[in-house]
Amino acid sequence: MPAISEALSAQIIELLPRLRRFARSLAGNVSDADDLVQVAIERALVKCDQLHAGAPLAGWLFGIVRNAWIDEVRARTRRRRVFVAEELGEQVADPNSAHAQILPVQQAMERLPDEQREVIGLVLIEGLSYREAADIIGVPVGTITSRLARGREALQNMLGGSEQEQP
Amino acid sequence: MTFSEETLMAYVDGELDGPTREQVARAVAADPEVARRVTAHQALREKLRAGFDPILKEPVPTRLLSLVHNTPASKPAQVLPFRKPPARQRVWVQWGSLAASFVLGALAWHFGTQSTSSGPITAKQGEFIATGALQEALDGQLAANQPPAADVLVGVSFVSRQGEYCRTFRLRGADAAGLACHESQGWTVQVMAHEPASQDQGPYRQAASGLPSAVLRIVTDTIAGEPLDAAAEAQARAGGWRAKPQH
Repeated sequence: MPAISEALSAQIIELLPRLRRFARSLAGNVSDADDLVQVAIERALVKCDQLHAGAPLAGWLFGIVRNAWIDEVRARTRRRRVFVAEELGEQVADPNSAHAQILPVQQAMERLPDEQREVIGLVLIEGLSYREAADIIGVPVGTITSRLARGREALQNMLGGSEQEQP
Repeated sequence: MTFSEETLMAYVDGELDGPTREQVARAVAADPEVARRVTAHQALREKLRAGFDPILKEPVPTRLLSLVHNTPASKPAQVLPFRKPPARQRVWVQWGSLAASFVLGALAWHFGTQSTSSGPITAKQGEFIATGALQEALDGQLAANQPPAADVLVGVSFVSRQGEYCRTFRLRGADAAGLACHESQGWTVQVMAHEPASQDQGPYRQAASGLPSAVLRIVTDTIAGEPLDAAAEAQARAGGWRAKPQH
């Protein structure tokens, strides 16, 4: 096997929940997102000789998930919206469930242009710095800043700004 | 003092350096309009986290865990290196030939009962050449767009150090996976490994799931650069998988 140590596989397993969350912010529905993580892990295992001791594993894996999304999973254009509609339909019966609160946010994310969605996912959801996000996507920090600004504005418009919640 | 929207966002994101951060903090305390804008950015951040954080608490699907768990070399797969085995592996290869007849037997049975076409692998001039359904899949299937019920699933495609196109594959039903590279006489199988079916993986054995570690090891030894992306894969197929000119 490409020398993956027990320690490395333990680290990857520890990161799986965050990789799934990031994939969900990109791919929308659960099955597409988990397919994305699966493709990314397979690629990562093939490439893990690139990984040096002390390398920032999380950033490396986020980058592989992001690239896999760009060139594989997104190309499939599965029936994403139908999925969402079905899930929403199930949730209507129980408006107090946590999912009823989650879905509008996830749906709003799906409606963002891809280049804004990935930046919002990395910075606002995963909590990466602008610099880290810039390295993963391969653009200057200034581009991250402007995409974040446009993405935030679009999300505010879709979700309703905080001012609407005030009486 | 007025601040751009991007500065206020950077403040909320913890991206401002000391002096600027303090200026914004003072403005938030003094100016209700600045405070309102900052609060709106914070609220959006919290909304997003509230929407996505529950995913962290979901159980991770077995198929993802087993992908990482499967890789340690401690779990031996039945392996048959089809060509150029290094001398140090000779004893192992003799054992491997037993595994070889087992896997080929399983393949012959599986494909013999599935269709009238020839078996998936034919020995020619000391090489194992992909034929039948395996050849068709390696020639024609793209990883991102495979028939769900296909007998052969193609995994990663890449260019080898010799400049040849290589593709990993899984033979569904035979519980075997391998690597083939496109050479002058067709797809030459480099390695195949059989892994006993495990119950928790059963429903999830798809193209992208973990390869047997023995196959992965040959992939790592063979690959030059990175796996092909979907566009490069389609381009290679359009070019008939002819070897890339060496630079």
